[in-house]
Amino acid sequence: MFSTSSQRKAWTFSDEGELARLREKHNLEYISRHGTQVDEFQRYNYFLSPDEERLLLRQYELHLKEFCKRFSPPMPKGVVGTAFHYFKRFYLYNSSMDYHPKEILATCVYLACKVEEFNVSIGQFVANIKGDREKASDIILNNELLLMQQLNYHLTIHNPFRPVEGFLIDIKTRCSLANPERLRGGIDEFLEKVFLTDGCLLYAPSQIALAAVLHAASKEQENLDRYVTDMLFHEAGPDKLAVLIEAVRKIRSMVKMVESPARERVRLIEKKLDRCRNQENNPDSEIYKRRMREALDDDDLPRGSSRMSLDTSGVTAVLSPSAS
Amino acid sequence: MNSHVSNYSVVGRIGEGAHGLVFKAKHLPSGRDVALKKILIKNFEDGIPINVMREIKALQLLRCKYIIKLHDMFPRGTSLVLVLEYMSCGLREWLQQRPRDLTQPVVKAYAQMMLKGTRYMHAHYVMHRDLKPANLLINHQGILKIADLGLARLFWPEGGRPYSHQVATRWYRAPELLYGARYYSEHVDLWAVGCIIAEMITKTPLFAGESDIEQLAIVLRHLGTPTEESWPGHAALPDYNKITFPESAPTPWSELLPGVEEEAEHLIRSFLLYDAKKRISAKEALRHEWFFSHPLPATLEELPKPTQNGKIK
Repeated sequence: MFSTSSQRKAWTFSDEGELARLREKHNLEYISRHGTQVDEFQRYNYFLSPDEERLLLRQYELHLKEFCKRFSPPMPKGVVGTAFHYFKRFYLYNSSMDYHPKEILATCVYLACKVEEFNVSIGQFVANIKGDREKASDIILNNELLLMQQLNYHLTIHNPFRPVEGFLIDIKTRCSLANPERLRGGIDEFLEKVFLTDGCLLYAPSQIALAAVLHAASKEQENLDRYVTDMLFHEAGPDKLAVLIEAVRKIRSMVKMVESPARERVRLIEKKLDRCRNQENNPDSEIYKRRMREALDDDDLPRGSSRMSLDTSGVTAVLSPSAS
Repeated sequence: MNSHVSNYSVVGRIGEGAHGLVFKAKHLPSGRDVALKKILIKNFEDGIPINVMREIKALQLLRCKYIIKLHDMFPRGTSLVLVLEYMSCGLREWLQQRPRDLTQPVVKAYAQMMLKGTRYMHAHYVMHRDLKPANLLINHQGILKIADLGLARLFWPEGGRPYSHQVATRWYRAPELLYGARYYSEHVDLWAVGCIIAEMITKTPLFAGESDIEQLAIVLRHLGTPTEESWPGHAALPDYNKITFPESAPTPWSELLPGVEEEAEHLIRSFLLYDAKKRISAKEALRHEWFFSHPLPATLEELPKPTQNGKIK
């Protein structure tokens, strides 16, 4: 249930200001860690500004959408929604200068496939990626644990797709609207755009779903206001209704404002990023390669005089043999 | 942050799970015992195994006294370490080593705890898919909890999604799985529960096949050749036509469960039905007469307590 979920408790924020503050904080933290020699007044000549990071990430959200759309075998909507949540969550607590969005994007989609039980092997997955597939597979697998950690292991995502189905069933049974199925086109289009906004970090999946249904209805020149006031919120009272109306209004206006970043600007930001990104997390850098080798060697729990040796020899007790 | 290896002092090895080693450790800040399940990811071609992902998701969702608790997790090198509630021993070793301690009140109490955990899982639309004595663990207080949710996944109440039939350890595998069913539901757990209750009472596995085919043969021999009435739709299951078994009449339950009292037999029979939809639910089973007749289930004080080293007193 959403109401008791980590999504509500840890990943639903009060307003856009809170999101902006978090993003700015991690932008500044990156700069203070890496920019000690850079003049304070010059720093955005070298580093990305919070606005530039936003623009860059918006562009990568479009890439994410396209990647999922072209994915073979066809990807269920739930996987796409979950991947978007992961991507947005990751960059609330990390700067794109620390971790390049193209690498995190692929990892988010890969993790979402697993969590949503859309079972594809890493080989099948990277077959959808252009370029060096072996390298892509290394990057994804190396980042998987990092991503899980940055998500605080909160893997379960509540997407708006199921509430949409619920609304449609409810409308069919309790509402006089003719042929509610014709709303689907408008709903899908709306939800696709919602994921290009911060909507899912601010509103409950059912609110987003309702906004999509109402939007689709108005596109069909239908009005479901009476359904909302007289049926859905009949017993909840005017206070809750007012909260909902405001949420729906806000979600719809966020969707209306979605626009693609200007290509030329993004190109310049990418160029800037190539210089200011954290080389320790750049798979092409020497320092990254060395660190990966070290991680592989450092796999055991700590040993020491006060602790038992943890080698695997002599393990006999098998508590839980697995199935099949 | 609590999630760091330096907060834990490893005191011993517990064993080896499907995905790596399990250690017993002390969480230093709180002093509590925990089990550290270390999953070495580089051993897996596709990264973090899907079973580990399922276990994490299921344990985060399920917070129940009768389901093992996931306290925390943290990365270590290229491994992921799950911090689980420490459990002193498993029902499997108990059945093997000290069967006589499983008195009727204890068996009833364990059956109740297993059913409460199962009821909770099913109410949250999670099916375990691998219930068996080895996955039922007992803590220092004597409380039994469901563990190893690596095969647990959400189910859709009305069906509609195919799942793998390669689940559940053979002896506890429901007949629809043995026939390769891809559409099934939480009822597969209830079959396993019935087998486990029978095993706790008789101290012998109820249907102990050496192979999948033998497993099916044993079940069919004892419960009788299924008919369209006792098992609607069975002839359409994927593997039904791959093998035929001799026609057989059901073995009388008094032979299958020798010396088992009537109420216990009735409850076990209510689980072991071919028609998955007719199997008694965990919720209903908890209201079964057997739990309210003498001798009553053991109280917490009366439950046997494992010793520190995991042996049973």
